Amino acid sequence: MGVAGDARASAATGRNIEAGPWRSILARRLLPYALIAPAMLVILGVLAYPLGMLLWLSTQRYGLRELIQHQGEFIGLQNFETFRVDPQFRYVVTVSIIFTIVNVGVSMLLSTGIALLLERVSRPIRVLLSAGLVLVWATPSIPAIDLWQWMFDYEFGVVNWLLTRIGVGNYIHHNWFENPIQGFTVITVIVVWGAIPFLTLMLYAGLTQVPRELVEAAEIDGARPWQVFARVSVPILRPVFLVLFSLSTIWDFGVFNQVWVLLNQRPNENYFLISVYSFQESFRVSQYGLGSAAAVVMVAILVVVTFAYVRQTVRLTEEAV
Amino acid sequence: MNPRKLLFTVAAALALLAAACGGTTSSNSSETGTLTVWLMNGSAPQSVVDGVNADFKAKHPNVTVNVEIQQWSDVTTKLDTAFAGSTPPDVMELGNTLVAKYASAGALANISSKKGSFENSGTWLQSLTDSCTYQGKLYCVPYYAGSRAIIYRTDMFAAAGVQVPTSMDDLLTVGQTLMAKHSSDPQFSALYFPGKYWYAAAPFVWDFGGDIATQSGSTWKGSLNMPQSQQGLTVLNNLVSKLSRADKTGDEAKQDQAFAQGHIAMIIANGWEVGVITDPKSGDPSLKSKLGAFPIPSHNPGQTAPVFLGGSDLGISAKSQHAALAQEWVDLLGGTKFQSQMVTVGGVIPNTTTLVSLSSGLPAVFAAAAKNSRFTPNSPNWANVESANVLQDMLVSIFTGKSSIPAATSTASDKITTILNS
Repeated sequence: MGVAGDARASAATGRNIEAGPWRSILARRLLPYALIAPAMLVILGVLAYPLGMLLWLSTQRYGLRELIQHQGEFIGLQNFETFRVDPQFRYVVTVSIIFTIVNVGVSMLLSTGIALLLERVSRPIRVLLSAGLVLVWATPSIPAIDLWQWMFDYEFGVVNWLLTRIGVGNYIHHNWFENPIQGFTVITVIVVWGAIPFLTLMLYAGLTQVPRELVEAAEIDGARPWQVFARVSVPILRPVFLVLFSLSTIWDFGVFNQVWVLLNQRPNENYFLISVYSFQESFRVSQYGLGSAAAVVMVAILVVVTFAYVRQTVRLTEEAV
Repeated sequence: MNPRKLLFTVAAALALLAAACGGTTSSNSSETGTLTVWLMNGSAPQSVVDGVNADFKAKHPNVTVNVEIQQWSDVTTKLDTAFAGSTPPDVMELGNTLVAKYASAGALANISSKKGSFENSGTWLQSLTDSCTYQGKLYCVPYYAGSRAIIYRTDMFAAAGVQVPTSMDDLLTVGQTLMAKHSSDPQFSALYFPGKYWYAAAPFVWDFGGDIATQSGSTWKGSLNMPQSQQGLTVLNNLVSKLSRADKTGDEAKQDQAFAQGHIAMIIANGWEVGVITDPKSGDPSLKSKLGAFPIPSHNPGQTAPVFLGGSDLGISAKSQHAALAQEWVDLLGGTKFQSQMVTVGGVIPNTTTLVSLSSGLPAVFAAAAKNSRFTPNSPNWANVESANVLQDMLVSIFTGKSSIPAATSTASDKITTILNS
């Protein structure tokens, strides 16, 4: 009876201790929830509620009449069924995925290159370069795209003038958006241009955290610069790379402004990325249900793709702990 | 009388006058609140808006009128959002192709019973009245109309020794003469035609007896693929490929600025665009004396092609808290006094046939062109055809050679059929 009796005795004492200042115990248990409540409320308000509304809208026939009366008609998964049979939607998804892969790849490559460069140049040059990057980042998106649009303008654009002037070919009245491949190249240039500053500065910050002695040790062991980068820097920067890859994927999959502004708010069907398609269906054709369903598909694809990144990041942090 | 006394007398007289004026409209002067009005960019000259507000203020001194100017490019988004809210603008200008969409959705007040109380309602332009009518009920007041004609450089025509063309074949010949005359200028366009400019393409379709869509019963059928429509587009495609160096995928938004640069002999344009071309800031005022206009010629010599009658209407929103005030404001802008100013100052076609004769000079050419006018399919879904860029995409793929005319027109027709019947 000894062991059981001991346990009972200790449980009893435990209850005695708790029973006394139960108020403070209760407060101690509830306090974390109380502290997190305001943040949770905000998150619920700005994320969960709109997301819930989006899901709900995607199951409705919700046109202009329904919008004005605030009363939709439930049609289940019919909106998604429309996508399944629509060849245009398949094109939209394919183009969006290719566009994202290319943009994430190019911007990560260039940013890594520039970050490595930043590490090696002299201090004044580094300050100048960083200042330039911050300026690009500080330029509001719409005016910046407007400037790019003027540069690539069919009639008055400086790009056509310059290319003709330096003898690349006859670019007078060259239309950059007639051929979607060329058009998407221009859009990629603008997206990458806008993405580089943040990615570069983050990577540069990460690179400065690579312990000097590790690099020196590797160099003494005869590693070439690219080997140092691949075997020493990259593994240490892995968490940073993972975060930047997932953020870039989310941003580039959702690219909208660049297409919309560049093509005078009337992009033709070749230029429908999934965000543009969703906007067009919602706000131009007033089919809010269909537009929401497109946004749901977009979120679903992003969740699947970024899940891998997020899992990796979580694992890395667990290893670190 | 010394100056002080004089001042006093004048002040007293003014006070009496004000009191007298107040007396005649005392029934309404107690109204308070704010009337929100949405007008479109470039529709009414500022002096007309100010005039309407001043007259309105005289009757309703305690009502504030907020006139907000909207841009055409994103107006449907803004209207959708506003109508979904509980306080949309009380009065809004709507492009005549948009009315059916908003009327059918229940966003606009049915003003059928008030029709007689609007000035000139008996002589409103038929096609604008039609655009305001949905299922036999009136949902807006005609505001103004606009039609397109060809604006040309009289000096270039004179230098090339050509006359105003009288048929579509003639237009091509005149254009080719101009192209030859300016062959040293790689930027020159005899007829500048941006690829997405379907308002200017429609006359070619209509002139050969084609149409955008036809209705039988309650079903619509896209008809751009009918032989007559294709014939019109073939003629247009030939003109564009031989006479235009405009962006084949561009729209007409910048055509006036381009015209003012001096490398263009003709554009298809609205009457008010003359003002943009000769504007000191955006255009070239020295062109004022070198501009002429003529209606788009038909393929039948001596006749003119039917043109799209564009224009705007003034709607009152169904949720308006100040419907009576809104109606009064609309009646002022749509009435004789300010419609006359719209013609003489704004250069547009007024909402009533009784004032059309006020236009003179170039605006008169546009008013004359409007006599042979057509309208887009009057369906609530037409705005969706416009929003989906169906016609623009079709024109672009024809002009760029991406698809043949039969293929492009049948794709567009199918889409139009689907959207109009959905």
